Amino acid sequence: MPTPKPIIQVEGLAKEFRRPKRIEGPFGGIRTLFTRQYVSKLAVDGIDFTVDEGELIGYLGPNGAGKSTTIKILTGILQPTQGSVEVAGVVPWKERERNARNIGVVFGQRTQLWWDLPLRDSLELIGKLYGVERDRHRANIERFTELLGLAAFIDTPVRQLSLGQRMRGDLAAAMLPEPRILYLDEPTIGLDVVAKERIRAFIATLNKDEGTTVILTTHDLDDVEKLCRRIVLIDGGKVLYDGSVEKLKARYAPRRRLVVQLAEGARWRGVAMPGVEEAPPEEDAEPGTVALLFDPETAASAEVIAAVLADHQVTDLSIVEPELEGVVHRIYAAREAVA
Amino acid sequence: MSVDGLAPRQRLAAYAGVARVQLRTQLVYRGDFLFRLLGLLVNIYMLRLVWDAVYPASGTATGNGGHRIALATQIAYVTLALVQNWLLNSGGMGFIPQRVREGTVAVDLARPVRFPSQMVWAQAGAVAAQLPFTVVALPFALLVGGARPPASVGAAFGYLLSLLPAVLISLLLTTLVQMVAFWTLETSGIFVIHRFVQQFLAGALVPLWFMPGWLRVLAEWMPFQATTYAPVAVYLGQAGVWATLGVQLLWCAVLLMLLRLMWWRALRRVVVQGG
Repeated sequence: MPTPKPIIQVEGLAKEFRRPKRIEGPFGGIRTLFTRQYVSKLAVDGIDFTVDEGELIGYLGPNGAGKSTTIKILTGILQPTQGSVEVAGVVPWKERERNARNIGVVFGQRTQLWWDLPLRDSLELIGKLYGVERDRHRANIERFTELLGLAAFIDTPVRQLSLGQRMRGDLAAAMLPEPRILYLDEPTIGLDVVAKERIRAFIATLNKDEGTTVILTTHDLDDVEKLCRRIVLIDGGKVLYDGSVEKLKARYAPRRRLVVQLAEGARWRGVAMPGVEEAPPEEDAEPGTVALLFDPETAASAEVIAAVLADHQVTDLSIVEPELEGVVHRIYAAREAVA
Repeated sequence: MSVDGLAPRQRLAAYAGVARVQLRTQLVYRGDFLFRLLGLLVNIYMLRLVWDAVYPASGTATGNGGHRIALATQIAYVTLALVQNWLLNSGGMGFIPQRVREGTVAVDLARPVRFPSQMVWAQAGAVAAQLPFTVVALPFALLVGGARPPASVGAAFGYLLSLLPAVLISLLLTTLVQMVAFWTLETSGIFVIHRFVQQFLAGALVPLWFMPGWLRVLAEWMPFQATTYAPVAVYLGQAGVWATLGVQLLWCAVLLMLLRLMWWRALRRVVVQGG
């Protein structure tokens, strides 16, 4: 069986922004209007990646890395300076309207809902804007009302909704036309834990049950850890990493942490094993706890635990996997140190 | 499986939906109506005082074309022209600039319908929302100003017919001027100029028949007069129906093309504000 063509193909993508150089001094504003000097900035600098239908990928990077610019190009809002992009067989900026029928977009920081009117009005208009057949649209509104729990506030004007409610409304609006691809640009920004959980559950359901391809950009690495199997990490407009979450951890934070709680009165005698070292004590650690760092490639977890138990009286043991948060933090910090 | 763009029928339904939502949005802010009505009435009354004062004692004055204009006709013109201009420009000029400034154009651009059409239809909805208010305002305006019956049955029909292209020209002009927001993010200064030029060249303050020769020629060659002066002149029998309609339709075509051209240029300049 031939492998299916990827639904998103991005090759050598670059986007340069030019803005007139600001002139300081008297009448600076007016002189800026007529200046021929420009300041240019490469927001995206040669990005390649492909996404298969049904994937759920995390598109990560620090502020200003070029994430939003990429999303805007993929949605057809911006035209790139260089490179080629195909989304479901369409070049987004050349056939913006055709591309729009294949995609749904949620911009966490702005809404696509009509601010002054009840949520229901917005949801109904979406059906007309995307040419969805009326009965089908009505059924979809019902389905998403149930899935996202919109019933309590569907007749409330959007400007009176809480951020979490508005975001649920925005997600429904994006998914009502049944797009094949959903772009989520920071969908959980500013939400509380419960609201975040609800949105994550909805995204996971869409991806699993409807097979919707999801591209998620976020700064919340919990989102990524709970939802994404694969991440694309960019910085300075370039791809730093593209692959699974596990491999990223293995590459940048290969060592696991074994936390040992000694029995009362027991003394720590150390473990003599190659590849195992004691972690510096943490500030908020309870008395009598010791943390060891080891690489499971060279020292198997079971052997390390056995070695500890052979010499010590222990009340509790736990192995802590490296968290994505820490991993990404280290990558960003390393990049800044180089720059 | 590939998806095509919307069919023409679906497009029309989409744009009608955009207009309807905008209409309903405007009605949320209807509390503003009383003040706007008051402004209109003061405007009409003051112009009436001026024309009463400057008119010759004989009660008629000679227009630019050599024909006589009665004071009652002049006041009826002022009343009707101001009400019409009030209705056509009630949507304000903030619609597109606000969307550019807040970055909501990103949302509009992610829709499967054309951006300029979305904007024109949304503003059509805003104007439609003012229609019932205009019906309420009209008797007051006629009371403060003055009324004349249409010059003939033909003139009455001609007036109603010429209102349609007048509305379209006004919508296109408003949209075109607002599009400047894509180039200069600060637009309020441009809008002040536009408001004066628009009101004056549309003939909302002084009818074209009292403008000095060169100014009248200038006004006639601009699209603004087709929104206000032209229909009212038809109503009062001061302009031919068919010639007026012809010029109006020509302007519709020219402005539609201009809007396309401008959007084509603007699209390359799109900078969406915010991350």
